[in-house]
Amino acid sequence: MNSENMQNSSFLSRLWQYWLSFLLIGFITVLFFALRDVLETTLIALLYLIPLGIITAYWGLGPGITSALVTFLTFNYFFIQPYYTLTVHRPADVVILMVFLIVAVVISQLVGRAQAGLAAATAREREATQLYELSTAFAGLPDDHAIVQILAKQVYAVADGEYVELNITGTRSFNFRLPESNPPSRSPELIISIEAARGLLGEIRLWRAAPVISSSERRLFQTFASQGALALERAWLAQAESRTKVLEESDRLKSALLSSVSHELRTPLSTIKAAASSLRGKEVGWDSPARMELVAAIDDEADHLNMLVGNLLDMSRIESGALQPKREWNILAEIVGNVLGRMRHLAQEHTLKIDVPEDLPLIPVDYVQMEQVFTNLISNSLKYAPVNTVVWIRARVEGESLHVQVSNQGPQVPSEHLERIFDKFYRITAADKVTGTGLGLSICKGIIEAHGGHIWAENLPDGLAFNFIIPLIWDGAKPHQLPIDTESE
Amino acid sequence: MSSASLILVIDDEPQILRAIRTILTEKEFRVTTASRGEEGLTLAAANEPDLVILDLGLPDMDGVEVCQRLREWTQCPIIILSVRDSERDKVSALDMGADDYLTKPFGIEELLARVRVALRHSVRMQGTQSKIVNAGPITIDLAFHIVKRGQEEVKLTGREYKLLAYLASNHGRVLTHQSILTHVWGPEDADHTEYLRVYMRQLRKKLEDDPERPQYILTEPGIGYRFIADE
Repeated sequence: MNSENMQNSSFLSRLWQYWLSFLLIGFITVLFFALRDVLETTLIALLYLIPLGIITAYWGLGPGITSALVTFLTFNYFFIQPYYTLTVHRPADVVILMVFLIVAVVISQLVGRAQAGLAAATAREREATQLYELSTAFAGLPDDHAIVQILAKQVYAVADGEYVELNITGTRSFNFRLPESNPPSRSPELIISIEAARGLLGEIRLWRAAPVISSSERRLFQTFASQGALALERAWLAQAESRTKVLEESDRLKSALLSSVSHELRTPLSTIKAAASSLRGKEVGWDSPARMELVAAIDDEADHLNMLVGNLLDMSRIESGALQPKREWNILAEIVGNVLGRMRHLAQEHTLKIDVPEDLPLIPVDYVQMEQVFTNLISNSLKYAPVNTVVWIRARVEGESLHVQVSNQGPQVPSEHLERIFDKFYRITAADKVTGTGLGLSICKGIIEAHGGHIWAENLPDGLAFNFIIPLIWDGAKPHQLPIDTESE
Repeated sequence: MSSASLILVIDDEPQILRAIRTILTEKEFRVTTASRGEEGLTLAAANEPDLVILDLGLPDMDGVEVCQRLREWTQCPIIILSVRDSERDKVSALDMGADDYLTKPFGIEELLARVRVALRHSVRMQGTQSKIVNAGPITIDLAFHIVKRGQEEVKLTGREYKLLAYLASNHGRVLTHQSILTHVWGPEDADHTEYLRVYMRQLRKKLEDDPERPQYILTEPGIGYRFIADE
């Protein structure tokens, strides 16, 4: 509906109110006229006040006062002698007329004012409700985009707007438009700045069909804007706070890492240094068996150092979110077999048993990362389980996921620690009793979660099991069928 | 080729250069070294080495690019050195024409084994190729398309034989997924590593003593496969 129409309709309804008032007075006048001989003049004047009150109460001050004047004339014309003239002969009638006029106008004004007061109170209540709704909607919203969206929607709804655009300026500038199209070509009817204690945050631009924006509306939108500004500031403060917390946490982890790493790195370095320097000196004869021993120690400890550095790199990659699995369709048995092949020399004191079904489907994983998971889980099992025990690797299809379990006959973990053993640097035993960075399991967790799966530990009657589940579906698909190859040579 | 093969080592870390030079000279190779890519390319053009050992992380240019520029004019074998977790770079260098790779830190036996395989392969490329490859109990006759395990002939499908023959004729060298797929299936299937996984499994079942812990058809994680034959 365009603005001209709206104006017309309000003008028409105003005209109607006057017409109805006059009609009512005409009707009453006809009624009184019929009873003119029975009723006294003063009584008629009194009775006239009833319709006047009704008119003012229903249609407001304008029709009320006008009706009072019209009534004054009709009363004089029809009921004050001489009839059918506006002249008055008796002084008493002049008094009646004057009193009537005063009373009528005063009543109209009183009722009208009460009426206007009521309307204002209703409007205030509506504003209060809208503000309440807005602040409730803002409460606890941590996201600045959501706040701006709610603010725009509220302005749009309350203003009965045609188009609302909210621009947030400054370092995190963005805007929100309702509806999501280009703004009208004309300039907006109302621009309200969103201001907070720290300065201008942005502005609300409102286009609407009815161009007249009353001062109370402007005030209301101003209040909306300051509510919005408060909510935005609060959200940004909360974000800053959580960033600080993350930084503090990462700082704490870094110092934990440094102390753990320097301890862990120094152990193999000490061995290498001692072995190399004694080989360089003359203490160890060329053919002595100690020589081979020392050389082997250097070699082993170099591998150990390499593994530690690898773990640290993996962890920092997981922390920074840079661990992107390069997924391909793989065969689980091949991955496990390769890992066991490489770990054979470490697993001489344990028995490794594999229970992986022949018909297991292909799994969509990063080959290298999945090897890392198995290496870490198996080496963890070997580290804690007593010698001459069995480490099992089992895999089963469960629905559209693969469930893998690596279990050992090592000591159980108190149930309150079961979840925390995947935390960085978390150890149940004192750090100096066990070697390792304390990162192995958290790297597993990072990799499995990057594959869209999850990992957990559970106590078994005779040991501890690590479980993980990864989806067998990749990009919503299963591996496609291989081309059939039946010809033989 | 002179009596001792000439090896060019391009690496920016002096300690690595020192160690490799010491060991290779000890093994009676002639060694020349460069610490930058451009320098390496110039030396390669001047000396025509029999083998190049190239670090992928050079300060002045990308190792893959050095590899590519060498391949523009020479077929001499290239062994690349790189750190862990750079599978993508290794694969692109291998697909660009490098012959093999070593992950730092590496053992010297590994380095020598790679050097020997690469030199032997380059000699084979120049001369006639041996028609029979032996690996433990496995005998592969590339001329007559016969594969035996012990005395028994192993039945292979056409595709399986083609795959095994490609691996065996390049024994000792790493072959990338892409190069195997392109060679055995065709360029349009170069991305379907799952074919490779399945066929390798079938081959291992037919040839290996323990298919879960293969001795002859080895997986190179994230890179490809390598067939290990008798020396």
